[in-house]
Amino acid sequence: MKKYVFIACGGFLGAILRFAVKSVQIPGYSENIPLNTLIINVIGSFLLALILTVAYEVRDMDADIRLGIATGFLGAFTTFSTLCKETVALLKNGEYFSALSYVTVSVVLGLSAAYFGVVLAREAVSKALGRDEEAEEDDEN
Amino acid sequence: MTLLFVGIGGSLGAVSRFWVGKMMSQKFGADFPWGTFCVNLLGALLLGILSAFDASKNVYLLLGDGFLGAFTTFSSFMYEGFNLFKSSEKLNAFAYVVGTVILGIVGYFAGFGIAKML
Repeated sequence: MKKYVFIACGGFLGAILRFAVKSVQIPGYSENIPLNTLIINVIGSFLLALILTVAYEVRDMDADIRLGIATGFLGAFTTFSTLCKETVALLKNGEYFSALSYVTVSVVLGLSAAYFGVVLAREAVSKALGRDEEAEEDDEN
Repeated sequence: MTLLFVGIGGSLGAVSRFWVGKMMSQKFGADFPWGTFCVNLLGALLLGILSAFDASKNVYLLLGDGFLGAFTTFSSFMYEGFNLFKSSEKLNAFAYVVGTVILGIVGYFAGFGIAKML
């Protein structure tokens, strides 16, 4: 039961943050591609991969906290339905190239961001472990 | 007040997504991310239907930006897609990523069109 409270709280905050970022006017940006949703989705993909890699491979993260951050906050922060709506809006305007670019860039950057999240989490861990080993050696001396 | 509508919708959307994901993995196993696949397609279809109606601002904040925005997700979609690509399931990975995107766009379009006809 407790995990539902964590997911709900994370979802509450994630949806509000997405709404706030979506409302920001990016100065000087006049292209058709909806940059706000793109940024939200790419950053969220990076953070989710980072957190889940830490949780699954590094240390025993409390399951409720993991669900609150990953499934709740980052799951609600990023969105797929808005991406579909924005793509259809571009298609209806006859802006086929923008629509295709938007979808392709979202997926390619999203997958790359997930990759970098996993790599960065592992890097940070191996560094931390390396330090631990050095510290142990120092203790022995 | 605006943020409260978005937040309440968001918390319900996130919990519903978790619940659907759990049901799907119990039913079909965890080899393929059926949960995220289904919530994303269903969410896109429902957002199409909602957008076809002239919903009041607060209803759209609650159901569109809040509930359906949080019910669907992009981060899990990418994380699961990446993990499928990494494993030997390259064809599954490709089908998952391309299938979700194409069916999601078609789903939104279909939802919008069907609701307009009613």
